[in-house]
Amino acid sequence: MKQLLRLKNAAILTLILLAAAWNSSTANPGNPHQQAIYSARDKVLPALVHIQPVITDFRTGKMVKQSVVGSGVIVHPDGYVVTNYHVAGKAERIICTLYDKEQVKAALVGGDPLTDIAIIKLNLNEYKGKLTVASFGNSDSIQVGQYVMAMGSPLALSRSISCGVISTTDRYFSGDVQLPSGEKTGIYNNWIQTDAAINPGNSGGPLVDLNGRIIGINSRATMFANNIGFAIPINIVKQVFHDILNRGRVIRSWVGVQCQELQNLEGWFGTGINEGVLVASIDPQSPAEAAGLLAGDVILKMDGRSVSARFAEELPVFYKMIADYPVGDTIAMTVMRGEKTFVVPVVTHELGDILGEDLECKEWGITIKSITKQMAVDNQLEDTLGVYVSGVKRVGAASDGGLRRGDVIRGINERPVDTFQEFYQQYTALTAEKAGRVLLTVRRSGSTKFILIKAEDIAREEPGSEE
Amino acid sequence: MRLTYILLVLSLTAVAASGQNFDFERINKKAYEYAVAVNIKLEVSFGTQTSDAQIRGIGTIVTRDGLVVFDGSPLDDDSPFSIMSGMQMNIKPTSIEIVKSDGARYPAEYIGVDRFTKLGFCRITSAQPVEFKPVSFSHRRDYRVGEWLAAYLLLPEFVSPLMASDVGMISALIQVPDQFVFTVGFNQMELGSVLYDSAGYPIGVLGLLDQSAFRGMDISTLPSFTGEESVPLLGVISAEKIEKLIKDPPTKGKVDRGWLGIYLQALTADIADFWGIDTKSGIIVNEVVKDSPADSAGLQTGDIIVRLNGAPITVDKEENLPIFQKQISDFGANSRVNFEIMRRTNGTVDTIQTAAVLSPAPITPAEAPSYEDPNFEFTVRDLVFADYNVFNLDRKEFKGVMVKEVESGGWASVADIMPGYIIQSIDGEKVTSVEDAKRVLNRIAEKKPKEVVFFIWRDNKTVFVNVKTDW
Repeated sequence: MKQLLRLKNAAILTLILLAAAWNSSTANPGNPHQQAIYSARDKVLPALVHIQPVITDFRTGKMVKQSVVGSGVIVHPDGYVVTNYHVAGKAERIICTLYDKEQVKAALVGGDPLTDIAIIKLNLNEYKGKLTVASFGNSDSIQVGQYVMAMGSPLALSRSISCGVISTTDRYFSGDVQLPSGEKTGIYNNWIQTDAAINPGNSGGPLVDLNGRIIGINSRATMFANNIGFAIPINIVKQVFHDILNRGRVIRSWVGVQCQELQNLEGWFGTGINEGVLVASIDPQSPAEAAGLLAGDVILKMDGRSVSARFAEELPVFYKMIADYPVGDTIAMTVMRGEKTFVVPVVTHELGDILGEDLECKEWGITIKSITKQMAVDNQLEDTLGVYVSGVKRVGAASDGGLRRGDVIRGINERPVDTFQEFYQQYTALTAEKAGRVLLTVRRSGSTKFILIKAEDIAREEPGSEE
Repeated sequence: MRLTYILLVLSLTAVAASGQNFDFERINKKAYEYAVAVNIKLEVSFGTQTSDAQIRGIGTIVTRDGLVVFDGSPLDDDSPFSIMSGMQMNIKPTSIEIVKSDGARYPAEYIGVDRFTKLGFCRITSAQPVEFKPVSFSHRRDYRVGEWLAAYLLLPEFVSPLMASDVGMISALIQVPDQFVFTVGFNQMELGSVLYDSAGYPIGVLGLLDQSAFRGMDISTLPSFTGEESVPLLGVISAEKIEKLIKDPPTKGKVDRGWLGIYLQALTADIADFWGIDTKSGIIVNEVVKDSPADSAGLQTGDIIVRLNGAPITVDKEENLPIFQKQISDFGANSRVNFEIMRRTNGTVDTIQTAAVLSPAPITPAEAPSYEDPNFEFTVRDLVFADYNVFNLDRKEFKGVMVKEVESGGWASVADIMPGYIIQSIDGEKVTSVEDAKRVLNRIAEKKPKEVVFFIWRDNKTVFVNVKTDW
C-alpha cells in the first residue's frame, strides 16, 4: 500500500512536470505538429481498449491461470478488437475497459502466434456508449523518422499515449523469437522499430501515424533499453485479421526450407546481386526433402516469379510468399545447384499448428501436448507419435517416477499411445478406475525409458493444489 | 547443570585427544623426503576465453625415479558439465615445478589424471639423475569409524618449513556408489597429502570422492546438480589403488575403460513387481548400440541384466547406476564378461546366459584428437560418442568436426563461428575428421583466398558462413 502511494506521488510529480511542458506548447497554438497530434489522437484514442484476460499456462506441470494486462484497438463496428496473441491468444475470460471507462466482456475469436496477433470480440449487448472504430493505415508507405504515437496501457496505466518517430521500418530478428508461451513468432514479418515509449502493458495497442491511422500493433519492448520498441506492421495484421474473421485461423503453406541471406556468398554460389534465395537447411520429412532440395541450392524463381534475399530483412517476405500459396498447390521452383539450373515441383503442405493441444493430467502431476509436425521438427523428435510432456510438477507422482519435461510418452502399461486422443482415453480410463500403478514407456534422447507412476504418490499429493 | 555439561565436554575431549597418539617427529622426518609442493602453471580455456592460471598443491614422490602423485582434480576437464553444454572446458598444464622440503626445485612432465580418484601424475625430469626416497605405503583393509588419521598441509611459500601437521577422523565407510573411507577434520588444502594411521604407517592419500567421475557415461541418466552434491567428500585413496595407478599411470588420451554399449536404467523393486519378475534389482537395457559388444552378445531392448560374472547386480535405484557402470568400466577393454539376463516375452520370463567382450570406452570430448588452426584462430576436434547423444545426431550419416575453441578477435570469431558449432565442410570439401580439417585448412593457407565458405551445423540446422581472411 505504501508503495502504491509512493507510485501515486511519483505519478503526480511527473504530471506536474508534463503540465509545464504542456503549457509551453499550448503557448503556441499554431504549432502544426501539435494540431496533427490532437487530431490523430481523437481518431484513435476513443477506440483504444484496456484488456484484462485470464490466460492459462501449462509449463509447470499443472494448469496455471494468470490475469494479465494488455492493450487493443477496436477496428470493426461489430466490436472486433485487434490485440497481441501473447495478450489474449490463450485467454479464458476477457474483460475490456473502453476509453469511456465502461467495462465490457469480450470473447476470443482467434489467434495467430506466428504474427503474435489475436482478435477478440466485444460483447456489445453490454455496452450502451457510442463505439469508435479506428482505421488501418498502410505500413508499406511508412518512413524512417516519421512521427508516430503509441497508445495503450503501459504498466497497466490505461489510456496512455507516448510519442516518437519510426526508428527503422524493417527490423529483422535472426533466430527464433519466442512468445512467452513458447511459440515461435516473427517468421513472416519484420518489425517497425520506434522510440515512442513502449512498456509492458502496451502490448496489443496501436502505433498510429499523424493521420490517425494504425500503422502497427505494438508488441515488444527491449529490456534494459530506452525507447526501443517494436510493432507488427499493420499490412501483416490486416491479412491475419481477414483470415481469422473469415476462416477462424490463418492457414499457411509449408515446404520446409530454412533460408539465409546471400550477401557475401554470391561469389561462392555464383549468383548475381539480388538474385535467388539460398537454402541453408532442409527440415526433415518436409515437402522440400521429398522434392530432393538440398542445403546449398539457390531458389531463383517460384512459378516464374523471380525471388531474392540478399539481406536477412528480405527473408520474411520470401517465407510469406510460400506461406500464401494454397495448401496442396505445386510450386515450380527454379533451382540453381552448382553449374546446373533446373525446375523442381514442390507440393506444399499445411504448416499447421506450431504447438499442440494442452492437457493437464492432475493425477500424475504433468501437463502434456499433442505433437505437431512443427514440434517434431523443432525438438528433433523421431516422429509425431505419442504425446509430449510439456511440464512436470516438482512434487508429484510423475516427478517421483523420474518423468521429465521433454519426454515423449509412447506407451501406457505397455500399450502403445500414438495420438493425443489415445492418450486421453487411456488416461481418463485409468484415473476413473483409480489404477494403483501405471507404467509409462517414454522416449528420451533417442532411447526408451520405463517410468512407474504410483497411486500412493497420487494420494499423498499436497491438498489444495487447486488454482 | 552447566558444570556437568562442561565436565562432560572436557572428558570427551580427553578421550578424543587420547586417540591421537601420533609420533609426528617420526612422521615428519619421513615426509621430509617425499612430501613436495607441486607448482603448476596452466592454461584454461572455456568457450571463447582463454586464461592462464597457477595452482599449488601437495605432492608425494612415489618412485625412486621421481614419479609424483598429487590432487589432480583442478586439472580434470572431463566433467559432465562440459559434455552436456557443448561448451568445452580445456585445462592444459603448461609447466610443472616440484619443490622438495629441502628447497630443491625440479621441473616435471605432466602425465595425466585418473578419472575416478582424480589423482594427478607427473614425473620429475631433472638434468642429472637423482635417486629419490619415495613413500612406502602399507596396506590397510580394516578401516574403523572413529579411527584417527594424520596428514599434513602445505604452508604458504614464504613460510618455512613447507608443511604443517593435522589430524582427522574416519567418519563413515561409504559403500555406494563406490567403496570410500570418508573422513572429517581434513580440508581441501590437504588434498594429496599422505595419510598416516596412529602407528605412523602411510596408508593412502587424502582424496576426493568426485561423483562426476561416475556420471559421464550415460548422459541420459545424469542426475541434476543440487547443492547436496557440492559437499566435498574427503577421504582415503587406498595404498592399493595408488599402487595400481603407479604401475600404469593414466595417460591423457589413453583409453582402457571397458564399454558395453547399452542405454540403461535401474530396475527398481516397483517395476520388477509390476512386471512380476522375481528379483529386486538389476539393469534394464533400454537400447542397444548397434555393433557394440552388447549387440554382439545378443542383448535386446527390455532385457534385464541380473547377474554380472555370476554375482547378483544390486542396483535398485537410478542413483546407483554408477556401481554397474563403474564395474563395466573397471573390467577394462577386451575383457570377457558373463551376463545373466531375464527376458520377458508374452508374459513369460526366460533366463538367458550370455557373454560379451567389452570394447574400449568411446573417448570423451577432452580426449578427442584436435587441431588448432593458427590462421583462422580456432581449434576443432573429432566428434565423439557423447556428441551424437547430446545432439541426437545420426550416428551413421552425420559427419563433421566440433569447434572446440575460438580465439576472440580471430577470423573465425569475427565470422561468428562459436564453440559447439559442427563444421561439415570447408571451401566445398567435406570434413569428417580433424585430419580432413587440417588438410583443407593447410591447402587454403597456401592459396590464401580472400574469403572461405564454411558449412556449419548448429541448433539443429545448417548454415553457410563466409569467413573473411586477411593473410
